[in-house]
Amino acid sequence: MPAPSAPPAAQMAVVLTESAADKLLPFATLVSGAVAMGFRVDVFASYWGLTAFQKAAARPEVSPGHGEPGARLEAALNAPRAPSWKALLEMAKSIGELHIYACSQSMEILGLQKEDLDPLVESVTGVATFLDTTRSAHPTYFV
Amino acid sequence: MNGSGSAGESSAAPPARTVVDARGSWCPGPLMELVRVIKEEPVGTEFELWSSDEGSRKDIPVWLEKAGHQLVEFRPDAGFDRFVVRKTHE
Repeated sequence: MPAPSAPPAAQMAVVLTESAADKLLPFATLVSGAVAMGFRVDVFASYWGLTAFQKAAARPEVSPGHGEPGARLEAALNAPRAPSWKALLEMAKSIGELHIYACSQSMEILGLQKEDLDPLVESVTGVATFLDTTRSAHPTYFV
Repeated sequence: MNGSGSAGESSAAPPARTVVDARGSWCPGPLMELVRVIKEEPVGTEFELWSSDEGSRKDIPVWLEKAGHQLVEFRPDAGFDRFVVRKTHE
């Protein structure tokens, strides 16, 4: 009988391009849930998805136009025990395999350096490298 | 360093339970807490996870099934659920 601790390898790929709180929270929920379920997760952070990882980034806000539900989310995010999207990613990294890459095109156009980013981002890569790394990933999501 | 090699299986005493209070934490917080503590504690440890997240009712058993650990007991309480879980292997 095979050891239950050695499940078949599973890999999920996520491309993140958004920075609103109502994108980052579902993104981090999906990623951390996948890591908990034993997936290796590879994330390609591009444009606003990359600026969300800037050390100097402001606290993410709920995107406008959602009325009462948007206000409820805003209030929930301000609650004492509300998890931050980054705390979820940090927890995921501590229990499993999570790799976050910065899109090199975005880095150049936005004038960012690796040192400007949260240490969760492990390296700057081009899209071809990301696709090569995630060639066998399933599923793949775009946020 | 007392040289004892006993693994604690010697008596009928109930195993100590570690309470993991994840009430108020959103999905997948309670699951993440459980995964973290199971990694840290030795085989045979029992955990009592408290979760007020409705998703946990399905997520926790699904993860336990996949990870191969045991759901000893599920007990709904006032406003939250108790999952008693035993770590069965490394």
